[in-house]
Amino acid sequence: MSLEEPGPRDVGLTKAGEVNYDELESLLGDAVLDRETHLNAEAFVIRPDAVQDTLSALKEEAGFDFLNCVTAQEYQDRYETIYHMTKYDDRTQEVGVVVPTSKDDPVSESAEPVFRTADWHEREAYDLVGIEYADHPDMRRILLPETWQGHPLSMDYDQTKPQIVTLRENKNPLEEDQRLNDDSDTMMLNIGPHHPATHGVLHVEATLDGEQVADVEPDIGYIHRCEEQMCQQGTYRHQIMPYPDRWDWGGAGLLNEWAYARTAEELADIDVPEYAQVIRTMSGELSRILSHMLAVAAYALDVVGDFTATFMYGMQDRETVQNILEDLTGQRLMFNYFRLGGVAWDLPEPREEFFEKIRAFIDDLPEKLEEYHNLLTSNEILQVRTVDTGRLEPEVAKNYGATGPVARGSGIDYDVRRDDPYGYYDKLDWDVVTEEGCDNYARLLVRLQEVEESAKIINQCVDLLEDWPEEDRTIQANVPRTIKPEPDTEVYKSVEAAKGELGIYIRSDGTDSPARFKIRGGSFSNLQTLPEMAEGEYIADLIASLGSLDTIMGEVDR
Amino acid sequence: MTLSDTIAGLLGLNANDPLQFFIAAIIASAIVGTFMLVNVAIAGPWAKRKITAAFTDRIAVNRIGPFGLMIIVADAVRLLSKELIVPEKVDRPAWDLAPLIIAGSALFGFAVIPMGSGVQVADPEVGLAYVFAVASLASIGLVMAGYASNNKYSMLGGLRAVAQNLAYEIPLVLTGVSVVLFAGTLRMSEIVAAQTETLVTIAGIGIPSWYAFVNPFAFVLFLVANLAEVGRNPFDTPEAPTEIVAGYQTEYSSVYFVLMYLGEFIHIFLGGAIITTIFLGGPTGPVLPGIVWFLIKIWAVFLFTQWARSALPRVRIDQLIEIGWKGMLVLSFANLVLTAIIVGVIA
Repeated sequence: MSLEEPGPRDVGLTKAGEVNYDELESLLGDAVLDRETHLNAEAFVIRPDAVQDTLSALKEEAGFDFLNCVTAQEYQDRYETIYHMTKYDDRTQEVGVVVPTSKDDPVSESAEPVFRTADWHEREAYDLVGIEYADHPDMRRILLPETWQGHPLSMDYDQTKPQIVTLRENKNPLEEDQRLNDDSDTMMLNIGPHHPATHGVLHVEATLDGEQVADVEPDIGYIHRCEEQMCQQGTYRHQIMPYPDRWDWGGAGLLNEWAYARTAEELADIDVPEYAQVIRTMSGELSRILSHMLAVAAYALDVVGDFTATFMYGMQDRETVQNILEDLTGQRLMFNYFRLGGVAWDLPEPREEFFEKIRAFIDDLPEKLEEYHNLLTSNEILQVRTVDTGRLEPEVAKNYGATGPVARGSGIDYDVRRDDPYGYYDKLDWDVVTEEGCDNYARLLVRLQEVEESAKIINQCVDLLEDWPEEDRTIQANVPRTIKPEPDTEVYKSVEAAKGELGIYIRSDGTDSPARFKIRGGSFSNLQTLPEMAEGEYIADLIASLGSLDTIMGEVDR
Repeated sequence: MTLSDTIAGLLGLNANDPLQFFIAAIIASAIVGTFMLVNVAIAGPWAKRKITAAFTDRIAVNRIGPFGLMIIVADAVRLLSKELIVPEKVDRPAWDLAPLIIAGSALFGFAVIPMGSGVQVADPEVGLAYVFAVASLASIGLVMAGYASNNKYSMLGGLRAVAQNLAYEIPLVLTGVSVVLFAGTLRMSEIVAAQTETLVTIAGIGIPSWYAFVNPFAFVLFLVANLAEVGRNPFDTPEAPTEIVAGYQTEYSSVYFVLMYLGEFIHIFLGGAIITTIFLGGPTGPVLPGIVWFLIKIWAVFLFTQWARSALPRVRIDQLIEIGWKGMLVLSFANLVLTAIIVGVIA
C-alpha cells in the first residue's frame, strides 16, 4: 500500500499528519458518549456494548493497529476500562477509548476479537479490578490463584483479611492427568514453575504429541507482588522510583526507572535539564547492554545446554558494564539512580577515569561481539536449530501487541526511542535494528546488533559529557518537595525498555500519591505470543522460543 | 599373556583349572576395575571442572587441597551423605536396577581392552564384538530408568536415549568393522599389533600405521558416532538440561545419582578406550611404558568430548535421528564397502 494515496486506514489525520480527533469522533458515530482529555491524548468515552465496533473502526479505518495497554479502575460511581491505542507506524499518534460500566453490573464488551492482546489484559482487569468482559473467550483469573476471593484493586476489597491458598485448594499441578484415561495420544507436560529453562517462575502447560507440541498455555502470576498497589501507596517524589528496578532484574533497571520518570514528569510538568538527559541516555543504554547480554547468554544456555562457554563469556562482558554502573549509581542491581527531574548525583570523580572505563569497554566490544557471532550465530548447528523455528509473522506480532526485540525480529520497524523521542535519543546518530527472519534466529541477531547500537549511543554521550562546560552541569530540575498534580489528571507514557515497550498509566486524585498506577510490561504482551510460535513444533523449539522472547517474570507478574 | 595369566602364575595357580583360573581372573578384574574407577573418580568431580573452566575462562576448584584435588573427597562425602529420595509409584525393582546396569555395563567392556604393560583381563577371539555388545547394554538401563521413574521428563529422556542409541550404534559398529577388515581379526591384541608397523617415514620420523592415519575418514565417523553413543554435545538430547530437566536421571538422587553419573563417565572412558585400541594404536608408543600411553590417549578422547560439550550447541531430537539414519549410516556403509574393495585389491 503506497503511503501517498489516502487509503481507508488514514481516516482521522490532519494534513500535517496529526490526529484529527473531531474526525475520529464522527467516524465512531453514536457510540461516543463523551470526550476526555488525557495528557498524552484525547480519549473517547463510549458505550460498553460498542467496544468491538469502536476498536475495529479505529483499527481498520483510522490505522490504530496497536492496542498498547488496557487499564481498568474503579471510581466511586462506576468502573472504567481504558484502551490505550496507538500506531506501529507512528507512536506519537494516540487515542484513548474509555469504557465506563455501572457498579452493579460491571460488564462490558471484550476487545479480544479485534485485538488478540486484549485477552490477557482483560483477564488481568477482571482479576484485579473485577470488571467482566462479555464475549471474552477465556474469562478466568490470570495473576491470582483461581480460588481467590474478591478483586484486590476494587474498593470494597478487604485488604486486612488474609487469604491463604494451599496447594490442594489451588489447581494441583500434580493431579492425575485426565487425558490418561481416554484414548488420546497426547501427554500433558508441566514445564515450570521450577524448570531450568523458564527464566523465572513461569509455568507452561504443554500438551505433547510425542516430541511435538500440540498446545501451549503459559500460566503466570507466581511472583505477583502487588507492584501496582505498592506504587499507589507511595508518594510521587521519592517512594515510587525504587519499584521499577524490581520489575527487571536482568539489568534493565535504569530503563524501567525511566518509564516512571517520563510518566511522572509529564504528569507534574517537569523539564529535565539536558545534562541529566545525556546521563540518563548513557546509563540507560548501558543498562540495555546488561539486559541484552544476559538474554543472549541465557539463550545460549537454552540452545547449547548446561554451563557453556558462551554463557560464561556473556557473564564476563556483563561484569564490565556492571562495574561501570556500580561506579555511577552505587548499586549493581537495584540502581535507584533516576529522580524526577534528573538523576540522583553527578558522574563519579575523577571523571576522566570513569570515561576511560567506558571507552575501554566500547573499544573492546566489537572483538567480543565477533566471538559471540563465531560461537553462536555463525554456528551451523545453532542455525539449524533456530532458523525458521518459532516463527512470528509481523501481522500476528502486531495483533498481540509485541514490542521490543521480539517485534523488531519480525521486521516491525518500531522503537519508542525513535518514534516518540525522549531523553537525548533524537539528537544522536543511531539506527533501529530490524530483521526480517521472524524466527528465533532473527531475535537473537536483533539483540546482538542492538548491543552495537547501544555502544554507538554511549560513545556519543561520553563525547558530549567530556566537553560539557562545568558551570552547566545541572543534574536535577527544581522539583517541589511534594508533588500534587491536579485532580483527575490522567497520563499514559511509555519508554523503550530492554524487553519491549514499558508503559505506565497514572491517574492523580490531587493527593501526593497516584489514585491508579498501571504498568504495561513489554514481556506481558510478548509472552502471549508463545503459543503462536511453539504450537506444532518440537519441545526443544518451545524452549528456544521462550528463550528468544526474553521475558522477565517480574515485569509479567508485577 | 593376559593379566589373569600373570596373576595365576604369580600365585602359583594352575591356569588350566577353571576354578583356579576363575580366582585369578576375578583378581585381575578387580585390579582393572579399580584402575578405571580411579580415572573416573578424577575425571568426574575434578578434571571435568578444570577442563570446562579452562574452556569457559574460569578458575574452578582451587581451594581444597593442591589444585583443588581434594574436591574428590568432598564430593564423595557430599553425594553419599545425601538422602536417597524414592518417589511415589516408581516401578521397583526396575528403578533400583537401572543405575547398576548403566554403571556396570560400561565397566564390563574394559575386560578385553589391552592397556599395555600386560594389563588386559582377557583376550578372546571376539574381543571387539564383545565390547560393542556390553557397551550397548546401557541402553536397557536407560529405558528402565526412564520408564520406571514415573516422571514425564524421565520418560521423554529414556525414549530419546533409545532412539539415539539405535541410530548411532549401527554406524559405530559398521565403522568398527571396517577396521576389522584391515586387521583381519576381532582379537583386540592383534588389532593393536597390526598398528605397530611404520606407515611412512617423514624427515626421519616414522608415522605408525594407526588406523586413524590409514583411514582418517573412518576415524572421524567413529569419533562423531561415539559422541552420540556417550550422549555428549552436540548429541546430549537424552539429558538435555534446560529442555527436559535431566532426562532419564531426573528422579535419581544420592547414591543412585552417583551411579548414574559414574556410568556416564565410565562410558566416555570406554568409548575412549575403544577409539584408542582400534584407531590410535592402543598402548603402543615410544619411550614411555604402554599403560602411560594408553592413559594419555583415553584422556585425550575425554578432553575432546568435554571440548565439544563446552562449545557446540545441541541438535534437536528429530535432527539427531536424521543425521544418524540419513547421514552417518550411509557414510559408514560407504566407508565399509570402500574399505572392503581396497583391502580386497591389495590382498
